[in-house]
Amino acid sequence: MTDLEQILSEARAKVAAATEAESLRAVDREYLGKEGVVAGLLAAIPTLEPTERRAAGQGANEVKTAVLAAIEERKAELAKEALSAQLSGEGFDPTLPGVAQRRGSLHPITQVTRELEDLFTSMGYSVLDGPEVELDHYNFEALNIPSDHPARDSQDTFFCDPEGHLVMRTHTSPVQVRAMEQLKPPFRAVAPGKVFRQETTDASHEHTFHQMEGLVVGKDISVGHLIGAMKTLLRGIFGRDLDVRLRPGYFPFVEPGFELDARCPFCEKGCSVCKRTTWIELLPCGLVHPNVLRMGGIDPDEWSGFAFGLGLSRLVMLRYGIDDVRHLLGGDLRFLEQF
Amino acid sequence: MLVSIKWLGRHVDLEGLSPEQICEDLTLSTCEVEGLEPFAPHMASVRVGEVLSRERHPDADKLSLCRVAVGDAEPLQIVCGAPNVDAGQKVAVAVVGTVLPGNFKIKKSKIRGVESRGMICSVRELELGDEHDGIWVLPPDSQVGSSVAEALELEDWVIEIDNKSLTHRPDLWGVRGIAAELGAIYDRPLKPLDLSLPEVGSDAAFDVRIETPACSRYMGLVLDNVAAGPSPIWMRHLLLAVGQRPIDGLVDLSNFVMLDLGQPNHVFDLAEVPGGVVVREASEPCSFTTLDGEERALQSGDLLVCSAEQPVALAGIMGGLDSRVGETGSRRLLEVATFHPATVRRTSSRLGLRTDSSARFEKHLDPTLPAKALAHFAHLLGEWQPDVSLPAAISDCGDWTDPAMEIELSGDHVRRALGVDLADGEIRSILERLGLACSSGTGTWNVAIPSARATKDLTLSQDLVEEVGRIHRYGNVPEASLVADVVPPPSDARRNLVRRVQDRLAGAGQMHEVMSYSFQSDDLLETLGWTAKPHVEVVNPVAAGMSRVRRAVLPSLLGLLAEGRRQSNDLRIFEVGKAYVPNPDAVDGQPIERHEVALAWAMPCASPDAAFDDSRLLHLRGMLQDLFVHLELEAPIWTLDEQAPSWAHPARALVARVGDSEPPLVRLAELHPEVAVALGLEGELACDVALAEISLDQVLGAPQAASAYRPIPRFPGVKLDVAVLASEETLAGDVQALIEKAGKGLVRDLELFDLYRGENLGQGRKSLAYHLQLQSDKRTLSDKDCAKFLDRLERGLRESGAELRRS
Repeated sequence: MTDLEQILSEARAKVAAATEAESLRAVDREYLGKEGVVAGLLAAIPTLEPTERRAAGQGANEVKTAVLAAIEERKAELAKEALSAQLSGEGFDPTLPGVAQRRGSLHPITQVTRELEDLFTSMGYSVLDGPEVELDHYNFEALNIPSDHPARDSQDTFFCDPEGHLVMRTHTSPVQVRAMEQLKPPFRAVAPGKVFRQETTDASHEHTFHQMEGLVVGKDISVGHLIGAMKTLLRGIFGRDLDVRLRPGYFPFVEPGFELDARCPFCEKGCSVCKRTTWIELLPCGLVHPNVLRMGGIDPDEWSGFAFGLGLSRLVMLRYGIDDVRHLLGGDLRFLEQF
Repeated sequence: MLVSIKWLGRHVDLEGLSPEQICEDLTLSTCEVEGLEPFAPHMASVRVGEVLSRERHPDADKLSLCRVAVGDAEPLQIVCGAPNVDAGQKVAVAVVGTVLPGNFKIKKSKIRGVESRGMICSVRELELGDEHDGIWVLPPDSQVGSSVAEALELEDWVIEIDNKSLTHRPDLWGVRGIAAELGAIYDRPLKPLDLSLPEVGSDAAFDVRIETPACSRYMGLVLDNVAAGPSPIWMRHLLLAVGQRPIDGLVDLSNFVMLDLGQPNHVFDLAEVPGGVVVREASEPCSFTTLDGEERALQSGDLLVCSAEQPVALAGIMGGLDSRVGETGSRRLLEVATFHPATVRRTSSRLGLRTDSSARFEKHLDPTLPAKALAHFAHLLGEWQPDVSLPAAISDCGDWTDPAMEIELSGDHVRRALGVDLADGEIRSILERLGLACSSGTGTWNVAIPSARATKDLTLSQDLVEEVGRIHRYGNVPEASLVADVVPPPSDARRNLVRRVQDRLAGAGQMHEVMSYSFQSDDLLETLGWTAKPHVEVVNPVAAGMSRVRRAVLPSLLGLLAEGRRQSNDLRIFEVGKAYVPNPDAVDGQPIERHEVALAWAMPCASPDAAFDDSRLLHLRGMLQDLFVHLELEAPIWTLDEQAPSWAHPARALVARVGDSEPPLVRLAELHPEVAVALGLEGELACDVALAEISLDQVLGAPQAASAYRPIPRFPGVKLDVAVLASEETLAGDVQALIEKAGKGLVRDLELFDLYRGENLGQGRKSLAYHLQLQSDKRTLSDKDCAKFLDRLERGLRESGAELRRS
């Protein structure tokens, strides 16, 4: 090893050993200062043979450049270490909460209604609307429920005039005939909305609640189609296949009429939701009665259809485990904020 | 309706079928089963005992000390207070540990110093009847030690069926009808029942006259030599099982026949109808006291059974108080009739008097059924009281026709409607099991509908499809997919708009969506002075003062403010809903429907000496402006509301319009201070409330703004703030116009960021401070441009009596 190499190697070792700015400056002074090693080398040049001077000068400069570079590199290293030591020294409480953001909310009925609307529109259903204050004609007569029909009993109707000409609609079914008047078969439609029953309220009964009516009119629509459509619907709502059963149910506007029960999604052996039967009554449905098709101006010999009525309020309660139906329309902020 | 399985067993063999199985099958094929309960389950633990000896209680005259064998090694010592207890009797014993109805647990006790190990029961204590004048003495052949339930064959199950699911099936309102269903389900025949008319004597038929079309058939049977006394024990127990209290032998029999066959009937004491029976409608309002002692106001058209002129029964609903059977003579008249369903229903609904009888009549009963029920009654009575005689010919009048008919049905129709591949033979076999005989033929048959199913239930071929489907079971129908053209369904502009509004308000606006009732209370409307406005009103509200249907959505939010403010210091709620305004011009009477969004924003009031104007009104206006930008609507024009609604502060009320829309797009106002107090928003809850209502109908019709994109400026602009000192009367809009005028088209992004009043400005003065940007499309602006703008602005303001505040 030459002297220069020796010098450079020692200098690098000293640079590497410096652990703080001060000791690095000392190395800087020792090699690059006025009285330093490099200055000594340069000062010695005039004493050399002229033929050696050039090489000696070059050598001294190389040492200078190399030492300088090592010092700069080490300096940056130290600065980085110092910063990282400083940053990691800043204690931070990881449990501090984020700054609270105010948020608004959509009513759970809106949320579930939208979900269903999206599901149905994806299957080609139109979404329709109908009046809450409805003519007796659409609410009853056109649905094959003439006056004095005992089925009117179960409807607990709010009447808007003494003659009962105008009523608060007791179900979303009046939209069926309105749809038939409006759309040309074949068609598929759903109609969500508010309905009214004159009854005493408690945790499971409300005089105002929400339903969604569904109506499909086409050629040769069968009970099999109805079952298929209802299974698809339930798959969309609950995200998985649920066993369903169809049992006879009487509604004058369908023939045959059914109640559709689904296997309780909350239990296997019976719970309070399914009243320990393992079945929950989900929706009344059936093939549209020929009289109703006729009322809507559709020829029952040419067309047939199925209809169903989904209890939206009930579905919302099932979805969120709401134990009191009165919360839905009660407007309590502590309820609304949860959605 | 309650149905006893044992009772069903009288009509069809249910051997080998568990009560649960029967319920399941009824549910899947016929009607809705709501429950299944054992009948008198406590009877399983009440034992047959034999009174071995009876002595007087040493310390009480009226008590007996009995030794009773109950099948255990040792007889029990029981103290009994009944006067009729005696040695040798078989009795019902509730031993220590038995729990009787009413959760009454029998314990070992001391009665007047003497130990008693059980209780000898009366019929009433066991809830098997009303008798309580002594203990229940059992038949002498009852097996000591066995349970009374077993000894007396009381074991039974009771099915509860939802009446609503039987609305269309008059035939199922009798036990035999349900038994026929089970027969069809299990393919077991109905047991024969003798329904042939009884032999009668040669006296002339009892005089019956029908003076109304509302009675299509009236049969009368005179019963002579009828003895008083309780009905047979088997009948009483069946009645008890289905919740009917045994009353009196004949009444029990009448009830039994009604429940058995579904045909109501009535027994008069012959002395009560001396002039013969007349069935007629009440010709004028009158009053009539029914069996339950209630005086009923009748209207003309109500159907009456009369003795000559005197009403004796409200036909098909309830007898009169004076016609109570029982106490007197041994000559009776059995009435079995067919009354008009709607007439019975109208009267019973109006009177709020629903009876087992009216419930059946209103379902449209089979007019051939009276003869069967009359026969059934007579045969049962004859078995129970062989001495009864039937002296007179049967009265049978009325203009009835047998409704039995035929419906044509094709196998293809059934297969197509059900979506199931059933062979013709299977279809026919199901129909036959249901008692619906099919004519021979291939592919298409005439199906005979018997009268019991023909009154209303089965009228169309679709009805027969249901018959086949429910017995075949819908669970056996394979799932099928709808096949249709793939086209997007038409979209609904209003529904899309509602979604965008909801999302913006709940998102950017941080508002909570509420849904309220459509009824608004009179109290609330009174507060607004709205009670005189025309409302759609229901005639039968859930509560007094809750009859009005809202004509605007906004008041629904007012009722929520006080409670909402208790929960939150920054209450923001909105509702999308419908409102109704009566429309006297509408031919069909339907009211005008309005689609509205109501908004409310409440926060505590700013301190009264606050220098900055930070009202909710302006915040809500900002939110609405943001909403309109979001909806890409042309910016509406805001003006003072000349017709501010009563909930609005009269001077702080605005409307936004595009063109001369009526109603306006938006009404926006501060809550009227008086209304605020009336709503309870005072004291701690006092607050600054801004309210708005958006007419969705107007928004739907409002013009859309042109493309929202402007090219990005090529030259940098200059940002600066200006403050203007002006008199209180000066309108912010005028100041803004002056700034824009001074800018000569260069002003962008003008924003009022501070409205300040303070002593340093002087009385009646205010300061308006703006951020703005000067920008040109043609060049980079210099300081000189800025200075020129400020000079022009200063001059312009001075000419208008305002001044530029130079800092």
